[in-house]
Amino acid sequence: MYNESNIDPKIIEEVLKFSKNIIEAPKFASAPDEISLEVTPHNVVQEIDKTRLLHYEPITKIKFKTPLLISYALINRFHILDIHPEKSWVKNLLSQGFDIYMLDWGTPTSMDKYLDFDDYVNGYLDSSVEYIKNQSSTEKISLQGYCTGATITTAYATLHPESVKNYIATAPVIDGWKDTTVISNLAKHMDVDKMVETIGNMPPEFMYYCFSVLKPFEQGVEKYVKFFKNIDNKKYVDNFLRVEKWLGDTPPIPGELFKQWIKNIYQDNLLIQNKMYIGKERIDLKKIDMPMFTQVAVGDHLVSPECSMPLHYAVGSNDKTLKLYPTGHVGMIASSLSQKKVLPEMGAWLAKRS
Amino acid sequence: MQSKSSKNLAESPKEMTEYYKHLSLFWTDIIHLMSSKPQALTSMGPMRAFATNSKKISVELIEINESLVGFNQYMTEYYKQLSNTWGIAQKKVNQKSPEIPQDVEHIEAMKRIWIDIFDNDFTELFDSKKFGENYGKLVSKELELTKHWNNISNVILQSVNLPSKEEIDEVYKEIHSLKKRVSKLELELKKEKRKNVQ
Repeated sequence: MYNESNIDPKIIEEVLKFSKNIIEAPKFASAPDEISLEVTPHNVVQEIDKTRLLHYEPITKIKFKTPLLISYALINRFHILDIHPEKSWVKNLLSQGFDIYMLDWGTPTSMDKYLDFDDYVNGYLDSSVEYIKNQSSTEKISLQGYCTGATITTAYATLHPESVKNYIATAPVIDGWKDTTVISNLAKHMDVDKMVETIGNMPPEFMYYCFSVLKPFEQGVEKYVKFFKNIDNKKYVDNFLRVEKWLGDTPPIPGELFKQWIKNIYQDNLLIQNKMYIGKERIDLKKIDMPMFTQVAVGDHLVSPECSMPLHYAVGSNDKTLKLYPTGHVGMIASSLSQKKVLPEMGAWLAKRS
Repeated sequence: MQSKSSKNLAESPKEMTEYYKHLSLFWTDIIHLMSSKPQALTSMGPMRAFATNSKKISVELIEINESLVGFNQYMTEYYKQLSNTWGIAQKKVNQKSPEIPQDVEHIEAMKRIWIDIFDNDFTELFDSKKFGENYGKLVSKELELTKHWNNISNVILQSVNLPSKEEIDEVYKEIHSLKKRVSKLELELKKEKRKNVQ
């Protein structure tokens, strides 16, 4: 029989401290809705439908003539690349002297259910590139895409290579059949026609479900235990709540776009085979002939490295670089590693070509 | 004692559903025909439109049951897969750490083992074909339920002369198409202007 006297008093102490932390948590932490994300100052320079083109205010002298336009993941908000002043992708690039624009995809409503790849690539993105070219009096700009945003920029770079001077693909979603993530498994078995016909846009709740099956116990249990254990650590709590706020703020995805995405990338894998069509034009990755920089996170459980890396080998560029980083999907763009290694390497590559 | 017809009905749930569908439609139609003349007096009001379309609601409600049977089947399989995986993972944890932890370090180590094993086993499940297929079918059945609900809502909307979901979708499609044409023309115009300036 178990002897009570064997219990380490430290266990009782830990349990009591943990309970106290839970009770006192509201004293130490703000509610996610109360948190102001302190995004880097910017101006909205163009608005089309629900999209906005953001131009960031320089924080140092602009050193390079070619502006950089960033296209972030469609399942996120634009502040994924500007999540915390100390971990901001945008702020780091501004401090390196680049002129930065970001295309904010906005929040699609039921009315936008027919928006498709053609609207995003040849509409919103092309209009933004045209605007930047006009403003900066340049014929070509640098383009960066992150995650699903990189699928859009990849398609753009094949259809409009004359407008892209340098192309950076960060964790791009390219080869759906090689993707080994849980999300790819769910996507492959999805009746996406029925889904779009019935509910229109892809609801954020479904995206939450897809995220919740990724490392369910580490992310669903341990993460929150750590949060309450560290409730008196202001920096930890602040960072935790910012990431949580971002995770819980997923916009819907337009139905038609989502349908093309699942079918062309995950189910039929047309993009990497150069068989995907946008509008009436075929996407031929060999047409990407500008300098290209591909960034892949080896621990990425949202877009596996096997899904991203084929882009590097499929393009027609002679000047191309593939970089692998020992981190995860978000770690690559919003961590101390991204500030110390990923961004300086990207900046050095881009500086030589801007 | 069961009658011959009810015995036959019990042989297949599908036949039973078909029988009740027929029964419902038969009586809805007959009652509608019998009562439609007095109703014609109020033909502009919502009750007339609702009565005309009410049999659609009966059909949808019967078909919802069919979808619900399928939904429950895949939902049961979904929880069975989760529960089996939980059981196997817990056994692995017990084998790796058979003793009850008695100090803080031991608890931490055991928690780490528990999380690693559970994350690995559940990721393996979520990544498997059997889970993907069943989950796909579960979502598909849920969508069928939503579609029936949409159809019922459409009957009510039409009874008060409001557009149905399909009619609104047609408008959205038309707006999208028009906006796309205008945007492309505007963009082309901007590009031409820039070329001319140069």
